[in-house]
Amino acid sequence: MDTLFKKPKKQIFAIFSFLFLSLIFSTNNAFAADGEKIFKQNCAVCHSLGSNKITGPGLAGVFTRVPSEQWMHSWIKNNDKMIKSGDAYAVQISKFDASQMTIFESTLSDDDITAVMKFIKEYKPKVEGPVVADTGNTGTPKEEGVNPLAILIGVIAFLIVIVAVLRGVRHSLKNLQNEKMGLPEEEAIGPWTELKQWISSHKRTTTVIILIITGGLLTSAWYGLKGIGVYADPDQKMEYHPEQPIAFSHKIHAGDNAINCQYCHSGVERSKTAGIPSVNVCMNCHKGISKGKLPGGTEEIAKIYAAAGWDPEKGEYNKPQSPIKWVKVHNLQDFVFFSHQQHVKVGKQECATCHGDVKTMTTVAQVKPLTMGWCIDCHKKTEVPGMKDNPYYESLHKKLAEKYKGQPITVDKMGGIDCVRCHY
Amino acid sequence: MNRKITKVISLMAVFGCVAIAFTSCEKRDANSPGVEFMPDMYRSPSLESNMAYVKIENGKETGDTLQANRMPVAGTIARGYMPYTYPNTAEGYEAAGANLHNPLENNAANLKEGEELYGKFCVHCHGAGGEADGLVAGKLPGPPPAYSTLKNLPEGKMFHTITYGKGLMGAHAPLLSQEERWKVVLYIHKLQFPNGKPTASDSAAVAKPAAPVK
Repeated sequence: MDTLFKKPKKQIFAIFSFLFLSLIFSTNNAFAADGEKIFKQNCAVCHSLGSNKITGPGLAGVFTRVPSEQWMHSWIKNNDKMIKSGDAYAVQISKFDASQMTIFESTLSDDDITAVMKFIKEYKPKVEGPVVADTGNTGTPKEEGVNPLAILIGVIAFLIVIVAVLRGVRHSLKNLQNEKMGLPEEEAIGPWTELKQWISSHKRTTTVIILIITGGLLTSAWYGLKGIGVYADPDQKMEYHPEQPIAFSHKIHAGDNAINCQYCHSGVERSKTAGIPSVNVCMNCHKGISKGKLPGGTEEIAKIYAAAGWDPEKGEYNKPQSPIKWVKVHNLQDFVFFSHQQHVKVGKQECATCHGDVKTMTTVAQVKPLTMGWCIDCHKKTEVPGMKDNPYYESLHKKLAEKYKGQPITVDKMGGIDCVRCHY
Repeated sequence: MNRKITKVISLMAVFGCVAIAFTSCEKRDANSPGVEFMPDMYRSPSLESNMAYVKIENGKETGDTLQANRMPVAGTIARGYMPYTYPNTAEGYEAAGANLHNPLENNAANLKEGEELYGKFCVHCHGAGGEADGLVAGKLPGPPPAYSTLKNLPEGKMFHTITYGKGLMGAHAPLLSQEERWKVVLYIHKLQFPNGKPTASDSAAVAKPAAPVK
């Protein structure tokens, strides 16, 4: 310690030289890496490194197209100046797209531009390895099952044939034996007569069989009745989750990427229906995101492009469009009126109250029964929001408060379970 | 003895068959919505939105389906709709920046609604603080510019961009009404200038002028 204090000049010199050296090293490293970073932050939003157009042209082989590197440098710096100066190539490419390229003169230094150009020049596309399968929560292969009823019928028919053949064999064997022993030939009896004989000698077994068959028929009738009109099952074993034309995963969009439900279902606060997003809403993000992470994802995204008529290579809508035929999951009968607007905007209900935890679903399932009993149940329990802070209905709210002293004002207390509220 | 064994075996076989039949009834096809009881009351003649209908030509059903959602009659104007007159061109963008101003008052109610709308329609790319760090931004080829780098962007250009989209961003006019778009612009200004937007007189005090954005 002492020695250090005695030679302050040396110490300061050491510190300074260390700082200086580290500065040199760090800037050197930064210079090498910066090209990519600058590209990502400033250029990638409009230019791809491949040949496809985003807003600006793709940059693959750009240095073979431009007149010189010096030209490219000045173009990035201030393209407007170059177009106005009448440079022939600049004027030509200014007609590429209606939107003009950003002027980078004040944001990027000359060194930055050089670094970016170096990065573009040296960029080599990564060879794509095989996609590693995820845990397999989507895209599980469909089981190619044969109808069990067909198997059952086949087995029964096969057994009948065997029984008939065996009966014939038994009969001829018996007659052969009778012939040997010198007994008269036995007459063939029909299967029906034989069954009757068997039943009269096996009364207890017959009763048991009849009981089991009756029980089976009653159970299947019960399940059939349970399946009428009720799509959801509280145990979630039998819930309705149909396959959709595009394997859209709410888990990825609303769960992992936390996109608000209303971004796509934007009608929920202003209309009776929440709305299925049109393809242009998909394209708001998928114009830039064309590859899926999960196996099969890229093919599914290509289906959006096919529906929108989008050409990802040229970056324009130049193909015929066709609507996506989504399958409706939550389907109320036409004889009941339901408005999303009223429940979400006024009633302040969460989407999940009726639709379940959609954020975790790969294919959307109906988890609530959507029956009248279920509606009424909720109307009896749910308190009406905004009873205190809505001056427009103040007198009405006061009357309600007086009528139901101390009790919470639930939906049913203001006519929420009247027949004509929903059926008219 | 022999007969008893056959009895037991046949009983077991019947029992097994019945058990299989019972359990196969319990599972339902995930693609089937169930049996409709009195379907004529489930489906009324009036058209419901987001439903497909069978196309009928010359009194015969064709295999095609029709959507209930139709294009409005040509020339229809929705209630409260105001046309937006600046075209989706570079000139329109400049003109909107120069001439278009927020008609809404900068008050707490508008800001709150702007914040709500921002949270629904913008946050997944532009990030909660407007720093382009939303969860989706990282998946795009390039993130959108952070709002802090666009402090000199006129509000008219912001509105124009929300309306038509720009670069990778798509048009958000179908999702947000004009009033809602202005509310979002108000909130973006609050993100850019948490202590209030400087007035014209002290705009020189704003640090370094950001890039002129085209």
